[in-house]
Amino acid sequence: MKESDVINVIQNALELDGECITMDSSADDVEEWDSVGHVAILSALDKVFNKKVAGIREMATADTVRKMLTLLKDYSLI
Amino acid sequence: MKVSIDAIDYYLPPKTEDGSILKEDNPDWCIEDIEKKTGIQVRHISAPDQTATDMAVLAAEKLFSTGVQRQEIDFLVLVTQSPDYALPSSACMLQDRLDLSKSCVAFDINLGCSGFVYGLFVGGSIIEAGLAQKGLVICSDTYAKYIGKSDRTCRPLFSDGASAVLLSSCIHNDLGPFEMGTDGSGFCDLIVPSSGARVSWAESKEGHLFMDGAKVFMFTMDMVPKCVTALLDKSGKTIGDIDMFFFHQASKFVIDNIIRQLELPKEKVYVNYQRVGNTVSASIPIALKDAVSEGRLKNGDQIMLIGFGVGYSWGASFVQWGVRP
Repeated sequence: MKESDVINVIQNALELDGECITMDSSADDVEEWDSVGHVAILSALDKVFNKKVAGIREMATADTVRKMLTLLKDYSLI
Repeated sequence: MKVSIDAIDYYLPPKTEDGSILKEDNPDWCIEDIEKKTGIQVRHISAPDQTATDMAVLAAEKLFSTGVQRQEIDFLVLVTQSPDYALPSSACMLQDRLDLSKSCVAFDINLGCSGFVYGLFVGGSIIEAGLAQKGLVICSDTYAKYIGKSDRTCRPLFSDGASAVLLSSCIHNDLGPFEMGTDGSGFCDLIVPSSGARVSWAESKEGHLFMDGAKVFMFTMDMVPKCVTALLDKSGKTIGDIDMFFFHQASKFVIDNIIRQLELPKEKVYVNYQRVGNTVSASIPIALKDAVSEGRLKNGDQIMLIGFGVGYSWGASFVQWGVRP
């Protein structure tokens, strides 16, 4: 899976239309990315990565797209 | 000596809150979106002067009204995180209010959503050891009193309620084995800060429940499947051997993700969060009683109970169901 695919997953999880999520997006500047939105992102990523995200506890505090991508790379998922 | 669950009943406060009340207090909330994710449509709210002990009395009296003899109760385990006082133990007050024998052992267990399974673990162990014949495991909480009106993380989830379960020694029904665990590193992810001795009440205004939803969710996704799998492995059973799973009724979102993780058949997972909400430790016994009432749970069914949450704490057990309806 490519970085752009992950960004799409995040955007869909937040139920956003268009290409409004980018590498630089964060919970601070996307209104829908609140605590409920964050959990939706985690669930969506766990689904597409075949249950492998559930074991990465640091994802709970990754509040930017860039941090999430870094963690996914660290765990060799992308 | 073996242990059976002989009777269950529960009490939910008559006052309820639905999405319209949340919207009234928080006009900027999208209630449809919240209900879609939580699955919870109605929550029960205790009266301002009603405590967990008051609700526990009402739940237990329902049991006694069905013929359970109060003087035969050898022990009382009260699972609560909203005691009337920091001390004394609410269970002691409950012993008196329920007119139980003075030889009755009574104590509190301070656990949340895993608490019913821990209550069974402790109560069942007392009976299995031959130290008692009958005991009550009562779960009661008033979390709603800890939650601010504009807390979007907690308010749409938590509901007040109490359950009462009678455990008895027997020769046929089986309780267990158990799979339990604790990870206290997550203690601050679901907490009422300044509610104990760590920070003086006088110095603090932080009496509200705090939940880091993402961290608690990740704990759940990580630990609950492991706990279920470990219990199955321990007992040599498979998912196919289990007639029904009773998870703590955290929310639709959480239970749906557990179902996905474990690849469970949806029809084997009982849910009632829609009309009850998340009643903390009482959620599993309330679900059991409702499942019996609906004819979904029958004598002889092999079921698994799984509690998880604040602490972090988790526990699972098998029950060979034989409770009278």
